[in-house]
Amino acid sequence: MTHTEREEQHMRTSTGRRRGRTAAAAVMAGVLALTAAACGDDGSGSTGDEGSGKGEITFWDNNGGPRTAVWKEIIEDFEAANKDIEVTYVPIPITDVQSKYDTAIAGGGLPDVGGVGTAYLAGIVAQNALEPVGERIGDSALKGRLVESMVEGVKAAGGRGDEMYAVPTSANNGTLWYRTDLFEAAGLAAPTTWDAFYTAAGKLTDAEKNAFGYTIRGGAGSVAQALDAMYGQSGITAFWKGDRTTVNDPANVAALEKYVRLYKKATPEADVNNDFAKMVAQWDSGTIGMLSHNLGSYQDHVKALGEEKFAGIPNPTGPGGVRVQVSNPVDGLGLFKASRNKAAAWKFIEFAASHASNSKWNEAAGAIPANTEAAKDAWINESEPTKLAARSLTDGSTKIVQLPYYLPDWNSVTKADNEPEFQKVLLGRTTPKAFLDQLADDLNEAQAEWKQQNK
Amino acid sequence: MTAALAEKDSVAAPPPATGAPAPPGRGTRTRRFRRERAFDDVPRWQIYLPLTLYLLFTLVPFYWMLLFALRPAGSTALVPWPLTGEHFGKVWHERSFGMFFQNSMTVGVATLVMTTGIALAGGYALARFEFRIKNAFMLALLCSQFIPGALMLVPLFEIFRNLQLINSLGSVIIAETVFQLPLSIILISGFIKNVPVSLEEAAWVDGCSRFRAFCAVVLPLLRPGLIAVGSFAFVHSWNHFLFALMFLSEQDKQTIPVGLNTLIGADSVDLGALAAGGVIAAVPVVIVFAFIQKWLITGFSAGAVKG
Repeated sequence: MTHTEREEQHMRTSTGRRRGRTAAAAVMAGVLALTAAACGDDGSGSTGDEGSGKGEITFWDNNGGPRTAVWKEIIEDFEAANKDIEVTYVPIPITDVQSKYDTAIAGGGLPDVGGVGTAYLAGIVAQNALEPVGERIGDSALKGRLVESMVEGVKAAGGRGDEMYAVPTSANNGTLWYRTDLFEAAGLAAPTTWDAFYTAAGKLTDAEKNAFGYTIRGGAGSVAQALDAMYGQSGITAFWKGDRTTVNDPANVAALEKYVRLYKKATPEADVNNDFAKMVAQWDSGTIGMLSHNLGSYQDHVKALGEEKFAGIPNPTGPGGVRVQVSNPVDGLGLFKASRNKAAAWKFIEFAASHASNSKWNEAAGAIPANTEAAKDAWINESEPTKLAARSLTDGSTKIVQLPYYLPDWNSVTKADNEPEFQKVLLGRTTPKAFLDQLADDLNEAQAEWKQQNK
Repeated sequence: MTAALAEKDSVAAPPPATGAPAPPGRGTRTRRFRRERAFDDVPRWQIYLPLTLYLLFTLVPFYWMLLFALRPAGSTALVPWPLTGEHFGKVWHERSFGMFFQNSMTVGVATLVMTTGIALAGGYALARFEFRIKNAFMLALLCSQFIPGALMLVPLFEIFRNLQLINSLGSVIIAETVFQLPLSIILISGFIKNVPVSLEEAAWVDGCSRFRAFCAVVLPLLRPGLIAVGSFAFVHSWNHFLFALMFLSEQDKQTIPVGLNTLIGADSVDLGALAAGGVIAAVPVVIVFAFIQKWLITGFSAGAVKG
């Protein structure tokens, strides 16, 4: 290389380095600018605006897909009645709704209105993302027209005393589905008591013919179902005794021992992995006498079995003929604090929770309406399981054990931490008592933490 | 070419690329012959039985999916007869899978093009030039593979929101491309290293620019590598759920994996529709692999291992 060439190369190198440094600085500045801008507006705690009551609002459906058609119909009705408001419908898959909310709270981009269930309401309230709606309900046509037990459920789930952070729209209820054809053939009466339930489970089982009396939930959602069976049999009506949970009360331990003994004796062995979808599919396509699931699977049973071959009743009654069941999550609509058009958003919530819309939605979903007038509509009596469930929730015959959905750790304790432990109980690797003691310790700790945070 | 980069001085002894191996000597031939004899002595059933069992294990879930997709709702038959297209009609028209398919295809093809294009440029730089932070850069590329996408979700969401890209397919395409690039660059640089520099030099001597030489000489030899990298970029973005769920909100922007998840309700699952959706989601991936499997195997044996 000649001297001139070396000089040229040196110059090119210096210029290149300068350009490189400039480019790097520009990139850094861009990244910092983006990051700084991003810090300006997140979803939590933002106060939003009442807005003009006109324009566009966004609605996130927390069970997008199965309910899309009925929501679109309700939105069409709403837009026809409120010509100056346009609703953007966003369907969110139910399995991921919580993470979608969490990301939007952290990163911004929350909707004006969103479907929220009591199972995860506390987490959103704790992040300060929802507007209290108690006062708005008091000033609206919804005042006094919401089912009291659902209002209480929403208040309890919010974890902020008497304040409400969602307008309840529907509730589901634990239902014992049974095959009427199999019961008739075996000469059995409907399993209205726990004793009748266990008798039927035994009599309907013939493992050689692949016929079973019951299908137990051993996979996702198993703990909630086990709690329902335990409290139903023990007759204990309160989840807390002072600051300690009653889940490991000796009566509950005895009830769980009896319940899990059904596994493999009166249930398929594969039940250890059952989530609700597998459990329902198995019941719909096999020869299984009974299934515990909520009203939501009614249409699946009709499609698979026809209306004549099955029936659904509320949970069996326990000691003294009293029916005790754990609270099922209530679904509702939340108004987000970050909304820049709260007036229009509230109009939409009010409309969706009104008699006509609430009735239409719940009829399509096969759920129990939160609007007291909708709960009296004729369609409820046309479906026997829904009628019985609605009656059991409203006539005072059923004692409800309120589960502590308000605990931010509720989902992790009852799902991630203890569902594998319940599988161990089914497989005989641990005892029901050890499982319940562990569950009780986790819940007591979560309750103590929650109390500490809310002092 | 920037002067900050000094060309790699490997012209004198380029590694053999895809050239023919040295002719086997007598010893090699004997060993190969013995191996073939030993293979011939194995009873056929010892080969086919494990393969059949493995195939059954792999194909039964597919059969189950087809069974649910093609038999009428409520049927418990183990063969899909009578055949019905009701589930396909339902998901395609009522549940908007036609639109989801189009969106997924846009994301998949755009990610493929962007990933392959950028990985080619990056891979060429890594393979042909020496520069000061090359090793650190390679290390950073490798390390980036350990970062799960979920961890980057909130920062990416914020950045896209500020760029007004939320609810645009562009956000998913950019995110997918960014996450695919590190591995793609490493793979492509491996493929390029296997192409002798002397081939490019010959083209330069004939008057080609570096770019022209790259396009005319190197690019055709990279076909197996490009197909391997491109197909992985396409299939990964086609199947990826998280970014589409988080960055896209409006229904007309959603992709197939998100659409599939909306078929699972809180309390009920339409198994027929879910299976039909699964078949629709699987078809492009199966077609891609059916057409490219030859190139894929050649690509990985030529580039990834030696890279």
